[in-house]
Amino acid sequence: MRRRPRLLGLSWLPAVVTAVGVLVLWTVVAASDWIQPAYLAPSPLEVWDAFVRANTYHPVGGGVDRVVRGEENYFLWEHLVVSLRRIAIGLVLAILVGVPLGLLMGTVESVRRVAGPYLDFLRSIPPLAYMGFLVAWFGIYDTSKIWLLFLAAFPPIALATINGVRGVREDQVNAVLSLGASRRQAVTSVVLPATTPDILSGIRVAVGFAWTTVVAAELVNGLPGIGGLAYLSGTQNKIALSVACILVIGLTAIALDFVIRLIERTLAPWRGKA
Amino acid sequence: MTATSVRTHSGAVRVAGVEHVFGSRGAEVPALDRIDLTIEPGELVTLAGPSGCGKTTLLRLVAGFMRPTSGNISVGDREVRGPGAERGVVFQQPTLYPWLDVRGNVALGPKLRGVAKAERTARADTYLDLVGLTDFADRRPYELSGGMQQRTQIARVLANDPDIVLMDEPFGALDALTRERLQGELLSLWRATGKTVLFITHGVDEAVLLGTRVLVMSPRPGRIVLDEPAPFAAASADVDPKDLRASPEFAELTRRVREAIT
Repeated sequence: MRRRPRLLGLSWLPAVVTAVGVLVLWTVVAASDWIQPAYLAPSPLEVWDAFVRANTYHPVGGGVDRVVRGEENYFLWEHLVVSLRRIAIGLVLAILVGVPLGLLMGTVESVRRVAGPYLDFLRSIPPLAYMGFLVAWFGIYDTSKIWLLFLAAFPPIALATINGVRGVREDQVNAVLSLGASRRQAVTSVVLPATTPDILSGIRVAVGFAWTTVVAAELVNGLPGIGGLAYLSGTQNKIALSVACILVIGLTAIALDFVIRLIERTLAPWRGKA
Repeated sequence: MTATSVRTHSGAVRVAGVEHVFGSRGAEVPALDRIDLTIEPGELVTLAGPSGCGKTTLLRLVAGFMRPTSGNISVGDREVRGPGAERGVVFQQPTLYPWLDVRGNVALGPKLRGVAKAERTARADTYLDLVGLTDFADRRPYELSGGMQQRTQIARVLANDPDIVLMDEPFGALDALTRERLQGELLSLWRATGKTVLFITHGVDEAVLLGTRVLVMSPRPGRIVLDEPAPFAAASADVDPKDLRASPEFAELTRRVREAIT
């Protein structure tokens, strides 16, 4: 059996050394004249500064005394929360539809045969292809974005659920039927819990997918929103802010993944053991 | 004790003219060839045969996991149309649920029937005690050894109080020492509960020692080629199985079973 990597321990040393190395290299490149014009290569400190300004009330600068709130009237963390909220809503809807649909398609052969091709079709479409259509239908505000996230997140969840159901050992179901379970009890007391690890994997894939999609979707009327801010700041030559947004987006994705792994370990501790 | 113990015994298991064929037209594999068999209530029937002869198929048909190609199977006067709580099944590979602890697994049958939590927990603990796993009630199944998992599975089936227990080579994957210990435990459980048991095995010694009646199935397509009573399971619990195995009667029946298999 594969040993899980430890969360804490002495294994952090190489990671820290690498991070310091990257920061040093970055600082050197930024301080050099290699990249022109120089504002295209902000130093780590400039990025940090942009990050702090984006999270505080700060003077607008350029000799003007006016104080503004964060960026575009929202703090950076608020931009992030807005994007996360869109994901959360889209994801909850995707779970509410994807898991029951997956259970149904996994257990009833005829439903799988009929609905399977549509699901494969949906899955194969890059979510952003829907964007124009969704804007036409639902407007440029949050409704269209949440629809988009739903469409991005639900195929991986449904597919993972189907795979999970089909992977349930036949005798695990037979055993519970022999204990007197009805078909419905067999689904709720065996098929669903046995599929939980797969559902969680599907959710993990879906979250990654949704995160990529929301950031891209915020190119259109994405403010407030971390993806919108990353895009807008770049177009306005606020490169340091743009880099700060990119870092926040990446770190958030890693944090999300970590949280879901944690949930996986709590809800399905038997994974890989039974 | 519980609602189930009020239930009258389901009666004899009757297998009448059962044939079973796997696969579809063109690639048919006959597995069973006209099986006729009646198992009376309280019998401990062992069924031995070479691997692949169809003995597991017969058990799965009786369990109701599939329907025979022809012929029919009934328990008492009711035809078997699917799995049912009156026919408990002990699988070769323990089918315990890793999301439940050992006690939760054993209490599952009563839980499905809506037995109150306190009662089903007490019931589970009774049967865990019977198979010697009281100390492991709070563990997860995957933390247990193979022998303990098999004991848990047996406790789960017994806690559900079936009339008939179908056992599919339950000790086949265990080491020799554990197997012998569990064989002894099975006999004392059978004496204590009076269940009807169909016990599939590929071990000649196991078939002769455990059965009140020993059946032998021929290679595929399976037919029953030997059907004899055996006295050893009914021997007093005080008799050491070693002495039974050393007796000339045991050697004689073992020889005949072995001949029938080959």
